[in-house]
Amino acid sequence: MKILQVRKLNKSFGGLTVIKDLDFEVDKEDIFGIAGPNGAGKTTLFNLITGFHRGQGDIIFENKNIDGLKPHQICHRGIARTFQVPQLFMSLTTFENVTVGAHFGVENGCDEKKNAREALKIVGLEGKEDAAATSLNIFDKKMTMLAAALATKPKLLLLDEPVGGLSPTEAKQSIAIFKKINKQLGVTIVIIEHLMKVLAELCSQLMIIHNGEKICIGSPQEVSEHKRVIEVYLGGRLNA
Amino acid sequence: MKMRKDLFSLLVVFGISAILPIFIHANTSVMHLLIMCFIWAVVAESWDLMLGYAGVFTFGQVALFVIGSYASGMATIQLGISPWLAMLVAGLLTALVSVLIGLPCLRLKAAYVALLTFALHMILEPLLKSDIGRAIGTGGSQGLLNVAPLSIGGYTFSSLELVPWYYAALAISFLLIFAIYKIIHSWWGMAFVAIHDAESFGKSLGVDEFKYKLLVFAVSAFFTGVIGGFYAHYIGVVSTRILGLDLFLLLMVMQVIGGMGRFPGAVIGAFIATLLNELLRVAGIYRLVIFGAVVIVVVVLMPEGIMGVLFPVEKKRPFNQVSNSINRIFKRKVSDL
Repeated sequence: MKILQVRKLNKSFGGLTVIKDLDFEVDKEDIFGIAGPNGAGKTTLFNLITGFHRGQGDIIFENKNIDGLKPHQICHRGIARTFQVPQLFMSLTTFENVTVGAHFGVENGCDEKKNAREALKIVGLEGKEDAAATSLNIFDKKMTMLAAALATKPKLLLLDEPVGGLSPTEAKQSIAIFKKINKQLGVTIVIIEHLMKVLAELCSQLMIIHNGEKICIGSPQEVSEHKRVIEVYLGGRLNA
Repeated sequence: MKMRKDLFSLLVVFGISAILPIFIHANTSVMHLLIMCFIWAVVAESWDLMLGYAGVFTFGQVALFVIGSYASGMATIQLGISPWLAMLVAGLLTALVSVLIGLPCLRLKAAYVALLTFALHMILEPLLKSDIGRAIGTGGSQGLLNVAPLSIGGYTFSSLELVPWYYAALAISFLLIFAIYKIIHSWWGMAFVAIHDAESFGKSLGVDEFKYKLLVFAVSAFFTGVIGGFYAHYIGVVSTRILGLDLFLLLMVMQVIGGMGRFPGAVIGAFIATLLNELLRVAGIYRLVIFGAVVIVVVVLMPEGIMGVLFPVEKKRPFNQVSNSINRIFKRKVSDL
């Protein structure tokens, strides 16, 4: 089943076209990667899917059109996201941060404390629950942000450059956690990343975007050998 | 069971003020001053709920207070209802006005919210004094005279006997401020802080930003409107005099001294600022100068106000994060490098 379908998506800010005729589909319970040079429009794509921006075209989630919905409504439909620059509620503790997701992200009543604890367990933050958000290092900040997103019980999770700025060990831990989320919770993941190694390990499908246009879509292996992709990233083959 | 520090502080303030009349009931000017402290405490804390907690840059709190006073006074004069009911009506009406102002503010950035809400403050005086105002019963330039005092059972409150007024003010303000306490520690309060700290993150987690912004406009205005009504029945006269800048600045100072976003800072600030303002009257023209100096000292030395001094919390200011990093470098622990 296709959990997410994006059709003829277009977005311009004034005269600048940021996304052009973007078309792709994501299979349920897959891990789908998105890569591309900086400024390619990847984060804008996430903003369009989650309702922070409005564009032209169709965004279909679980066979229902979701354009025009506000971010909190899209959260209730089952899409969660993390942000490239870690965003947290600095006045609150780690646990409280996650309970915001647990309470507001789920439409009908739920046991917020239980959901929050489960989410924190999955990302490996048990024991740090009462830490003030201001005291967390960058890895813990990212994991708290992730836990809060998980606490909304999403079916689709959008990760925006989750591994940026982390040490190799932390990156490895993150990958393991993403795999766990996908396999154990059955959450579909769409991940934007720069590190090909990460994408190659996680994704079954990978899409490269350049200047808002889709250049290529396929398995990590196919994509890394695609002529246009190499051109875009490296400026052309050596023996061209 | 351990009590929260903020509730404890609130109970201390109200506990002390509850027994004060035993010693000072004969001193009518001090009694009056403390009654005004109770009233300003509600206004200041309601304002802090919007400004300190929800982060909504509103400058309309004084206007809402005046609307509440007029509404309650007019309700008793024109509808003949009891002052108690009138206060409730005033709260609801003030909440409605606040929501109407809040609607256009939803999409505006901080500075523009300040301008729009302050516009309410600016147009209120001419509006109340205008022909339209007189037509609906505001009393024009004169204002409302002979507003009915409170009464319980057979007893009618009188300006000659301040002890009943004192305890009525104490009870009503405690009720309203306790309600604010409950809201701060509820999911509503969480939503307010979420929108303030990281709006996009909050929205992505399901927090309906517009709903909670309008809610804080409504709730903050309700409490302010009710106490505005109390003020009308206490003073017995309602005019546009308090729409000058004095009260506005004083209420701001209350929040700053007490600690913004640190319940019950605004309450403590209300008592300190009101009493300080009164004490400084002996300084004549130097009153404002000294007052201003006090504010500057507080802002520089105690940025989190009195609550920040009494109950210091790990600071979230960038300055302190920088100093923490510097400390770490100088301690030179291998694990920190």
